[in-house]
Amino acid sequence: MAKTFRGGVHVEEHKNTERMRTVRMPAPHTVSIPLSQHIGAPVQPLVAVGDRVLRGQCIGDLAEGLCAPVHSSVSGTVKAIEMKPSARGIPVQHIVIENDGEDELCPSIAPKERSLAETAPEQIVKIVRDAGVAGMGGATFPTHAKIASAIGRVNTIIVNGAECEPYITANHRLMQEHPEAVVGGARVLMHALGLSKAILAVEDNKPSVIQIFKGLTWDMDDISVAALKTKYPQGDERQLIYALTGKELPVGKLPADVGCVIFNAETVSSIYRAFNTDQPVIERIVTVDGDCVRTPQNLSVPIGTSYRDVIEFCGGLVKTPRRLISGGPMMGAAQWDVDGVVTKGTSAILLFSEEQSYSYEHGSCIHCGRCVKGCPMHLMPNYIAAYARRRDYESAELYGAKGCVECGSCSYVCPAHVPIVQYVRVAKTALAAKQKE
Amino acid sequence: MDEQNLEIEYPERLVVASSPHIRHKDTTAYLMLQVILALTPALIFGIVLAFTVGWRYGLNALILTVVCMAGSVFFEWLYEKITRRPVTVRDLSALLTGMLLAMNLPITLHPFYALLGSAFAIIVAKQLFGGLGRNFVNPALAARIFLVISFVSAMSGDAYPMLDGTAGATPLVLIKTGQIAELSLMKMFVGVCPGTLGEVSAMLLLLGGLYLIFARVISWHIPVAYIGTVALITYIFPQTGGYFDLRFMAASILSGGLMLGAFFMATDYVTSPTAPRARLVYGVLCGLLTVFIRYFCGAPEGVSYSILICNLLVYYLDRFLRPRRFGQKRGKKA
Repeated sequence: MAKTFRGGVHVEEHKNTERMRTVRMPAPHTVSIPLSQHIGAPVQPLVAVGDRVLRGQCIGDLAEGLCAPVHSSVSGTVKAIEMKPSARGIPVQHIVIENDGEDELCPSIAPKERSLAETAPEQIVKIVRDAGVAGMGGATFPTHAKIASAIGRVNTIIVNGAECEPYITANHRLMQEHPEAVVGGARVLMHALGLSKAILAVEDNKPSVIQIFKGLTWDMDDISVAALKTKYPQGDERQLIYALTGKELPVGKLPADVGCVIFNAETVSSIYRAFNTDQPVIERIVTVDGDCVRTPQNLSVPIGTSYRDVIEFCGGLVKTPRRLISGGPMMGAAQWDVDGVVTKGTSAILLFSEEQSYSYEHGSCIHCGRCVKGCPMHLMPNYIAAYARRRDYESAELYGAKGCVECGSCSYVCPAHVPIVQYVRVAKTALAAKQKE
Repeated sequence: MDEQNLEIEYPERLVVASSPHIRHKDTTAYLMLQVILALTPALIFGIVLAFTVGWRYGLNALILTVVCMAGSVFFEWLYEKITRRPVTVRDLSALLTGMLLAMNLPITLHPFYALLGSAFAIIVAKQLFGGLGRNFVNPALAARIFLVISFVSAMSGDAYPMLDGTAGATPLVLIKTGQIAELSLMKMFVGVCPGTLGEVSAMLLLLGGLYLIFARVISWHIPVAYIGTVALITYIFPQTGGYFDLRFMAASILSGGLMLGAFFMATDYVTSPTAPRARLVYGVLCGLLTVFIRYFCGAPEGVSYSILICNLLVYYLDRFLRPRRFGQKRGKKA
């Protein structure tokens, strides 16, 4: 039996690109690299306008504070350093680099003769930091900080290859095409954390990946492969931990508090590459899909490439898009600008036409209870939304407003099309503001 | 073709909205339609049965159905027009209310009462409280009770003709008066017995209800708890005296619209709880009340009253029996 959790919803999968090999997208004419692609402090530019930079060269860092350094994804000349809104709407400095087409790699990126057994955990943390790795599932928490804080506190490493969002197959293709990088990255992490147990967790809608992983790890006692039931939000850290260990992680606590640490599959493969060659995160796999794209596919995209360049590479538009989503359709952020750029956290670019977009009529809640059944946190979204609408946030909290993880399952299943999770967000924000006072 | 498509330009504006950006295909109207479809066989059976009693009865049953359904939709439309609210008849909930009301009426009833019932259901029980989703009692049941109380003789047991056309007692009356031996359980199950228009065929109602559960339109909690409670009490404490009477139990759950009530009226979304535990308790309460009314009250029937009473408890059931939050210790309230 595939492991799972109670609650959640079955979402139409639309994994249209799961059988297509990842294509490497050539670097565009210019890239615009944000200096904050992670949770934490934005980094400071290390280059000036007019400088020549190499592919893989560090162009932004900060001496202290929580951050992940930023590297150039092309070789070329810095044209500008400018403020632009990020994918979440926050103003962020971007370094605009004109590609000179030389593709000259930074000399520090080369195969290293490192022996895992002889590498100290602190050294691995440094390697991961220097490579600018940040959670590539979309949360973008600086990975080195996660490793450092987990040392001595956890007993299980979980590699998250659930990929429960519809449409996205970026992790699927990565795990299928480079399983050795995922397994190898897990080994690096096990060594860094001094653990002898790692779980590769994959939803059972990817049997080929489970097969490959089982083949690769058949003689390893310390790395196991877990098949998870295909259900949204199976890849959420709380649901993942519950499915694999039976432990419930309360709101406000970190996975380390129940002895677990979770890394996204692509993050793990980036760690592996950083360990072997010091290659920083300068490209990532992005699923491009939606009914407006001519050729939906998975691309390995240089960081800083604009959505427009990615769409053009996929053959342009076949319909006028109404929404452009960075990330999955359940939790991704709708973009207002086709000139926004791919960052370390961009797992997908989805273009939906009018017909595929949510319409906005707002019916009356009929108390069907589907949101209650679907809530993976076992809250009562119907009442939270009703009270939030009346601005009675105290009562909203009675039904669990603060416990919401904003997975959107409630809004997804609502037959009356009430934007439930949006109401819950309002209640959460109001409650948080009140707490601050 | 490609040449043409190349001309598609990037839009000047994109829609920025809160996630999720997709949603499930089911709508309110779709769910209502499912319930209507699940009820249809039992309703058709009731009308056909009325025709076998006599063409006048059959015709009246047909007219009642049309008057209730059309009347409910009309009054919904009318009220919303008068109060200048958006017209919501397309969500099919008024149609369903009309259908349920028709199924709760005796086939001898004058259609005028049916029209009055529709007006009461839609305007008083539903729209005055704010329309769909805001009424706290089931409109069809409220209208039935309104008619039962206001027009005693027209709605009473004398109004149920036997198959030979004479007035007869419903199975419930026979049970109550100790004449249970005269009942054929098989006939009751199939539905060849007196009763309201839509409650007679326990079999078709059961099939319709099971369809709704398997189609995930309703959850199993309420009907199972409701019918289970009635079955358990009537089995252990039959009204015939003594204990453990399987025949009495079977007669009890097959009669008096229990199937109709348990699968289609107690599960009415708007007026039933949403938390799983609350649904179970609600079902058990409905079952207890139904048996108590049948045993100890003057009225032979308890389904309508018990559901209506439990409707009033829904908010508290949901509030005090809300699910244990993920990550919260057992037994601890947030």
